[in-house]
Amino acid sequence: MSSTCNCIAGAARAIKVASPIHLPVQSAAARRTFATINSSRASIPSRAIVGNSAQCTFKAEQNALEGARRTNGAQGQLRTFSSSSPRHALKTIQQVRARNKSGPFNLTAAILFVATASGLYAYFTYEKERVARQRIANQTKGVGKPKVGGSFDLVDHNGNQFTHEDLLGRYALVYFGFSHCPDICPDELDKMALMYDKVKEQCGDVMVPLMITCDPARDTPEVLKEYLAEFHPAILGLTGTYENVKQTCKEYRVYFSTPSTVKPGQDYLVDHSIYFYLMDPEGDFVEAIGRNFTADQAARVISDHIKDWEKPLKKKDRWA
Amino acid sequence: MGWFSSSSDDSGPKKTADGAFVAPTKSTRQKCYESRDAFFECLDRNNILDSVNSKKGRDAATKACGPADQAFEKNCAHSWVEYFKKQRVVNYQKEQTIKKIEAEGGEIMPPQLPVGNGR
Repeated sequence: MSSTCNCIAGAARAIKVASPIHLPVQSAAARRTFATINSSRASIPSRAIVGNSAQCTFKAEQNALEGARRTNGAQGQLRTFSSSSPRHALKTIQQVRARNKSGPFNLTAAILFVATASGLYAYFTYEKERVARQRIANQTKGVGKPKVGGSFDLVDHNGNQFTHEDLLGRYALVYFGFSHCPDICPDELDKMALMYDKVKEQCGDVMVPLMITCDPARDTPEVLKEYLAEFHPAILGLTGTYENVKQTCKEYRVYFSTPSTVKPGQDYLVDHSIYFYLMDPEGDFVEAIGRNFTADQAARVISDHIKDWEKPLKKKDRWA
Repeated sequence: MGWFSSSSDDSGPKKTADGAFVAPTKSTRQKCYESRDAFFECLDRNNILDSVNSKKGRDAATKACGPADQAFEKNCAHSWVEYFKKQRVVNYQKEQTIKKIEAEGGEIMPPQLPVGNGR
């Protein structure tokens, strides 16, 4: 590579020297020299040894190349170029045309072109995806944002008070369910455990998985703790009074059908919405993840959002 | 009614002091699903779709798959039994509708974010 650079430098110098004296056509020929260095080199011996056999020409060419390699200094390069200016080689218009036929396209140019094109393509594809994610995330900020999420005042499965402020500085994956759920919630909670592990692997411990019960009458902190430990020890269960849970569900636009008064021993099911809500570290809603997402797809969506986040994330200082 | 008098058999879902079922664990859920599948298999063999919504269906199910039904009731909370039996009918109708639409040349597009209610 360095020798190529020297050649170019030498050629440029040759042009500088030549241009005031020679005609523009000739300087154009000299300019072409550094686009096709190889052919200019080949022209050295053919001119020096006229009438020899092809074999001899080849040998002479080898010698000439070696000589060029040995004279490493810019001076040497300059001399090589100034004495081997290929403009004399292009005697006829046909020769000029033949040289021009390939034009500026050679292997280096082709590689550069392809590399630039694929680089630009990759960059724009990435940017397009990022901007699309940004748009989804930004739709939830500022004016006209969907009012999903908000303040709540609940109790976690260890019996401690837990409010929306405890979530600030971390992403939260919020799920609404209840422990007596027959089939969908257990599947979704298994998926949540997978999602959590994958996100943690990619982004670190920056997200807290939450399960808020829609059935506070039966789901006491103890029940939730036992129930959730089977899925993932990191999943935090939240419960509270019926009013507080109802208010939280309202904030998250979650529909649920728990009766407000339950007779002791009553056996019932609860209808509720089944989305995962991704909340950003400022407590704003980012995206809802439905049942059609696999754990892998969901983890990717979440990780991408987390990687887009530029503000500080509190790692491991609250739920450590 | 003592603590375990109503469910002295340990295999089914346990009940609390007030008679409510305790939250199911992974193993009790698994047990419930298994007895559900066994019962539904029996219904399939006897060509019974609905075992809950009509008296005729209930009688037919009891007659053909009585023991399986009892095992189902024993291993699952009652609300689950009813839910699964109804779900069986709904799922069948859903399948039929999809088949009908596809037979008519329509296409079922998977929704981007399906609205669903879970239990």
